[in-house]
Amino acid sequence: MNLLAPAAVAFAAAIPVVIVFYLLKRKRVVHLVSSTLLWQKFLAETQASSPFQRLRHNWLLIIQILVLLLAIFALMRPFVAGEGKTGRLRVAILDASASMLAKDLAPNRFEQARSELGKLIDSLRGNDQLVLLIAAAHTEVKQSATTDKLALRRALDACVPMETPTRLGEAFKLAETLVKNRPESEGPEIHLFSDGAALGLDDFANKNLPLVYHKFGKTADNTGIVSLDVRPNPSDPAQRAIFASIVNFSTNTHAAELELLFGNDLIEARTVTLSPTNTQPLVFLAPQTRDGVFTLRNNTEDALATDNRASIVSLIPHPAKVLLVTRGNRFVEKALRGVANAEVTIVPALADSGQMFDVVVLDDVSPATWPAANTLAFHVANTNLFATLETVKAPPIVDWKSGHPLLRFVNFDNVQVADALGVKTPPWGASLVDSPSTPLLVAGQLQRQRLVWVGFDVLQSTWPLRISFPIFVANAIDWLNPSSSRNAELMVRAGDPFHFGLEQSISSAELTTPDGNRKTIQIEPGSRELIVGDTYRQGVYHLKAGTNDVTFCVNLLDAAESNLAPRDELPFGKYTKVTATTVKRANVELWRWLAGIALAFLLFEWWYYHRRTA
Amino acid sequence: MDGLLSAKLLRQLEQFQLLAQRRAKSSARGERRSRARGQSVEFADYRNYVAGDDFRYLDWNLYGRLERLFLKLYEEERELPVRIFLDASESMTFGEPRKFDFARQVAAALGYVALCGFDRVSVISFPDQPEQSATRSALRAVRGRKSALEFFRNLSQLTAAGTVNLNTALRRGALEARQAGVAVVLSDFLDPAGYGKGLEALAGRGFQVNAVQILSPEELSPSTYGDLKLVDAETGALQEVTFGKFRMKSYQQTVQNFCQRLREFCQMRGIRFFMASSGTPLEQLLLKQLREAEVWR
Repeated sequence: MNLLAPAAVAFAAAIPVVIVFYLLKRKRVVHLVSSTLLWQKFLAETQASSPFQRLRHNWLLIIQILVLLLAIFALMRPFVAGEGKTGRLRVAILDASASMLAKDLAPNRFEQARSELGKLIDSLRGNDQLVLLIAAAHTEVKQSATTDKLALRRALDACVPMETPTRLGEAFKLAETLVKNRPESEGPEIHLFSDGAALGLDDFANKNLPLVYHKFGKTADNTGIVSLDVRPNPSDPAQRAIFASIVNFSTNTHAAELELLFGNDLIEARTVTLSPTNTQPLVFLAPQTRDGVFTLRNNTEDALATDNRASIVSLIPHPAKVLLVTRGNRFVEKALRGVANAEVTIVPALADSGQMFDVVVLDDVSPATWPAANTLAFHVANTNLFATLETVKAPPIVDWKSGHPLLRFVNFDNVQVADALGVKTPPWGASLVDSPSTPLLVAGQLQRQRLVWVGFDVLQSTWPLRISFPIFVANAIDWLNPSSSRNAELMVRAGDPFHFGLEQSISSAELTTPDGNRKTIQIEPGSRELIVGDTYRQGVYHLKAGTNDVTFCVNLLDAAESNLAPRDELPFGKYTKVTATTVKRANVELWRWLAGIALAFLLFEWWYYHRRTA
Repeated sequence: MDGLLSAKLLRQLEQFQLLAQRRAKSSARGERRSRARGQSVEFADYRNYVAGDDFRYLDWNLYGRLERLFLKLYEEERELPVRIFLDASESMTFGEPRKFDFARQVAAALGYVALCGFDRVSVISFPDQPEQSATRSALRAVRGRKSALEFFRNLSQLTAAGTVNLNTALRRGALEARQAGVAVVLSDFLDPAGYGKGLEALAGRGFQVNAVQILSPEELSPSTYGDLKLVDAETGALQEVTFGKFRMKSYQQTVQNFCQRLREFCQMRGIRFFMASSGTPLEQLLLKQLREAEVWR
């Protein structure tokens, strides 16, 4: 047998109190009588001048102490390990994302949610089990299924809010596996403590999850920076253009006081009037002579402070050295020469791995040695990249992902292809242009080498005749250029890991977080990549790995998180919704109060007994 | 009559006469039959004439028939000493009405009946109180109906205070009496030292003893409840007690036991015992209990 609350033995301090009550004599009213003779014959009480009397053998005392001991023992909550009846299973998901830091509830939504979850833990019956999940960018099991309320309380206290987006899908997947196939008698339930700022729950539309949604949040009075990017100024390459978007999620017009800093230097201050529920795009121009960090700051007071600041690393652009390997293709050649900030070298065949170049373009040429640099390959049949290769005649283009940087402003409406290589989408990349039978354009990263693979010969298509072709080539060179891709790599969303390639083998690296704390990261011998996962706070991080000193930024930049309007319903797909519950209150245990009343009654009973018997 | 007894009650009491179970032994003349020979109208016996006898008591008719001188003897009538022992201790001052007031009324009634019967009445109050010595002396020997008014006045001037040992007081009263007679003890008998030896002394001296126990209604049924520290008015002794209504019956049983023990003690020694509450009407005791017990007729 064990005890769930051994600290309750402290209630044993009540035993001396009971004994003292027996030792104490009560204060009496002095009353003059003619004679005490009759009373002496009647009474059993002895007289003494001391306030204490000798402790006598008294069954009442023994019974009271026995009851008290049993009560204390019960408060210590003893249990035995045995085959008892299985209790209900509760899976609690505590949303710890950035929006839960909103201060519309005091002190913030997260603490309110934590408090409510604490009540749920208190309300668990003896053999009820609870799993505690904390969901932010990633889901973490803070406490596996247990009936131990103390352990659950400890796990709950250890939960901290993060400045990351919400990804409840992961938490729901985990919760679903826990409650799946549980018998109905156990009544498994998933309790979500959140403000509902979650997207991408369509997968659970038909899962019929036993979800109880506890909503937190009141107002939507918030403005937030939702995007930030830095690029060369097209009209003045010496300048940098900082693109940003700020959204007013409230129903009132707000004036945002914005400040752009480069490092710690103020570049520009601007006041922007934000219409209700509108997004305001912003462009800042700033000269840049060295690598550094641009920070955009919104000094307006609102409910959520996390989204009022965003930073981005800006590196001085270097011209891209492009090697075009072709047997002759004027379209590609002209398109490459049209790319700004690129130095193009044309060769008929690739003799080495092309390490001197930033980007290698293979135009219908299969090299003997696969280039080491980032590669754009047109109609290259390489069995190392694809498991199966076949020829597909006149594949129609049915879909393309215009949101990808490679296909920005690229349209395939009037593009026809005579024939293409038929492949299956490889694990290292994603298909960006699809035909019914084969992907026509695959982009991805293989062992730190970026690859863009086009499955057809552009000369066997109408694409070079379209305006989208040179745009695509320019996008591709920009995406494949290590210096420009480096810019993008140096900014990660909060909660996402930061990857850093290691040139040489090192054993440890030092990470300085935005709050100035320094951490040492141990690296496995021979590892070629360092992954920093602790990116739950937004701000500027410094990483010192060997001789490399890298600065990278972690930003929230999430419109769904910045939108603080509490959602009364959680959308699961188009037709399914879960409404926030206000009826299903957590049951609060009363046994402590009852035990206290029992103790008080015990003391009253002693007093009443002695009142009756002198 | 000084507030002790009403005129109506006095008229009723005038009809009573104390009944003595034994012949009077007093030396003073009175109206009670005695064993002594003397002057009265009741013929007792004849005896031979001896020189010096009073010629007025010779029976001349008998001399005419027998020519011998015989003297006629008559029963001597003596007075009956009635001694009233009045407990005037502090404990008698309690009760509503006070036990001492009730006891004085009983004493006044007994004394009045005795005075009307030409008996000698003595009221012995105890404990001794020097400031009342004159009053107490005046109450030591009262005779004649005409003394009744003075008797009542002195009786009403008595006060109760101090502590008393009942045994000692009664024994001393028994020893002080030159002739035995009727003794009436008016007390609550709540003496930690007891009452047995005192009553035995009176009975042993030849008194026809009547014990009247007077308790107050508060002593019979206390009305004060709660956690109490009781202080004995006479001895100052303390007694802690927690008392409630639910204990009343057992308390009353205790009082009954106490009274019953006293009654049995008296019965075993030929002592008449009466018990009265100071709250009951005086007539209840005087006109009913004492009459039924043939204390007077």
